[in-house]
Amino acid sequence: MSVLLRVQDLDVSYGAVPAVQGLALELPAGEIRAILGANGAGKTSTVKAILGLVRARGTIELEGQPIQGAPAHRIHALGVAWVPEGRQLFSTLTVHENLEMGAFARGHGDGFAARVDDIFAMFPRLRERHHQLAGSLSGGEQQMLAIARALVSEPRLLIMDEPSLGLAPKVVQRLFEQIQEINARGLSILMVEQNARQALRIAHYAYLLEVGRLAAEGPSAALMASENIQRAYLGG
Amino acid sequence: MDLFLQQVLNGVMIGSTYAVVALGFSLVFSVMRVVNMAHPEFFMAGAFGAYVMTRYVTTNVAGVLAGGMLVAAAVGLVVERLAIRPVRGRYVMIPFIATSGVGIALQHLAERVFGSDPVAIPAVVPAASYTFGPVSVTRMQLVTFAIAVVLMLGLRYYVRNTKWGRATRAVAERPEVAAAFGVDVDFVSRLTVGISALMAGAAGVSIGMLYTSAWAFMGLIYGLKSFVCMLVAGNRHVEGVMVVGLMLGVLEALVSGYLTSTLRDAVAFGVLVVVLVFKPNGLFGSYSV
Repeated sequence: MSVLLRVQDLDVSYGAVPAVQGLALELPAGEIRAILGANGAGKTSTVKAILGLVRARGTIELEGQPIQGAPAHRIHALGVAWVPEGRQLFSTLTVHENLEMGAFARGHGDGFAARVDDIFAMFPRLRERHHQLAGSLSGGEQQMLAIARALVSEPRLLIMDEPSLGLAPKVVQRLFEQIQEINARGLSILMVEQNARQALRIAHYAYLLEVGRLAAEGPSAALMASENIQRAYLGG
Repeated sequence: MDLFLQQVLNGVMIGSTYAVVALGFSLVFSVMRVVNMAHPEFFMAGAFGAYVMTRYVTTNVAGVLAGGMLVAAAVGLVVERLAIRPVRGRYVMIPFIATSGVGIALQHLAERVFGSDPVAIPAVVPAASYTFGPVSVTRMQLVTFAIAVVLMLGLRYYVRNTKWGRATRAVAERPEVAAAFGVDVDFVSRLTVGISALMAGAAGVSIGMLYTSAWAFMGLIYGLKSFVCMLVAGNRHVEGVMVVGLMLGVLEALVSGYLTSTLRDAVAFGVLVVVLVFKPNGLFGSYSV
C-alpha cells in the first residue's frame, strides 16, 4: 500500500523548550492512524508541523514530496485539511460562509454546490442551520461544521485534533461512527486523541507519545492487548 | 433652527470624510491587531498626491482623486512591508512603535520634498452652492460626501460579498485556521493595508481640495480623530466606525456653530473620555488584544 504521509526525525521546539523530538510516523493511504498521549506530549505540535503552522526540523513528505518549510496555505492546496482542537470555527461567519472558507483554495465554481449537498446529506442538521452564525451552534453541531469545513475541499489527508474534546458521550459515539464512515469513503485520517480507548477502537494503528518522544507504536489491537499500555493509558 | 440644520448638514459632510479615514485605520486593527500609527501619513500622502496631480498632470477631479489614492496606496504597501508584516502577530506595542517610526520618517520626508509650509492646491471643483429651503451646501461638500459614501459602500460590499473579503474576516478572527484553509495571510495583510491606504488617500484628496492645501504634518489631527472614532465605536463592527465618524463631524459642527470653533477638537477628545469611562470596549464592542 502506498504511503500518503511520512514524517521522519521531526523536532519541534518553542524557543528553548522542545515539544517533539525525533518523531517518526507514517500514514498509509486509506487508513486511520491515531497519535495518543497525555496533555503536553507533543501531539498538537506534531500535527501543526505537518500543517505548516509551526516551524519544525526533519522530513515531512506527502506522497514522497517534501513539504516541510512550506507555508500553511500551500500545504493545504496539496490536499491537507484540518479539524482543529476546540473546533475553531469562524464564529462571526455563517455556516455557509464557513464552508466557503473550507473551499477557499478550490474555488466555488465547479462542483462546490454538489460537495456541499453531499456534506449536508451526512450532517442534515447543518442544512437547517445554513444561514446561522457558526458561533450560535451547539457543541455537537460545531464539531459537525468543523469536519464539514475540512471535507468540502475534498482533501487527501484529514488531520483531526481532539475531535471528541468537550462533547457529550452520546455525541462522541456518533462522531466516531461518522469518522469511520468518512474513512470508508477512502479518506486517510490522522487523528490526535486523549481519549485513547475510543480512538483505538476505530484506528488501524497508533503512536503513543510521551513528553515529545515516541513511547510505543503498533496496530491498535496489539496496543489494546498490551498490559503496560492498558495500565498507563487505558485506565485498565 | 436653521443654524442647527445647517450645522448638522455641514457635520455630516465632514464627518463622512472622518469616517473614511477611521474605517481604514480600524480595518487594519481588526484584521491584524496592528495599531497603524503611519495611517495618518496615508492621508497626508493622498493630499500631496492631489497637489502633484493638479500641478503637473490634470485638474480633472477624477484624475486628481485617482492620483492621490494611488500615491497613498504605494506608501501603504511600503509601510506594510517595512513596519507591519515583519512584526504582525507580536505584542501590540511592537507594531505600534514600528509604524510610529515609519510615520515620523514619512512626515519629515514630505517636509523635505514639499517644504515646511503648506502648499496650495488649486480649486478643482468650480465654486457653486445649492440651497434647499433653510440650508445650503457647496458643490465641493457634495463631491467629498459622494466620494466618502462610495468608498464606505465599496468597503462594505468587499468585506461582506467577495471571496477575499470573506477571507479577510476569517483572518481577523483566526489567522492560523485561515492559513490552514488556503488563505495566504501575507497577501491579506498587503490587501488590507492597501485598501486602508486607498481610503485614507481619498480622504486626503477630499480634505486637500476642501481646504485647498496640503501640509507635511496635516495627518496628525485626522489620525487622532480616527483613533477616537475607533475607540468610541469599538473595532468589532466597521459600520459602528462609520456611524461614530458621522456623529463626530456633527458634534464638531454644532460646537463650532453654537460655541466656538476653538473648542471643536477638545470636544472630540472629551467625548472619547466620557465614552470610555462608561463603555470601555466602545459602543459596539471590541476584540481583545
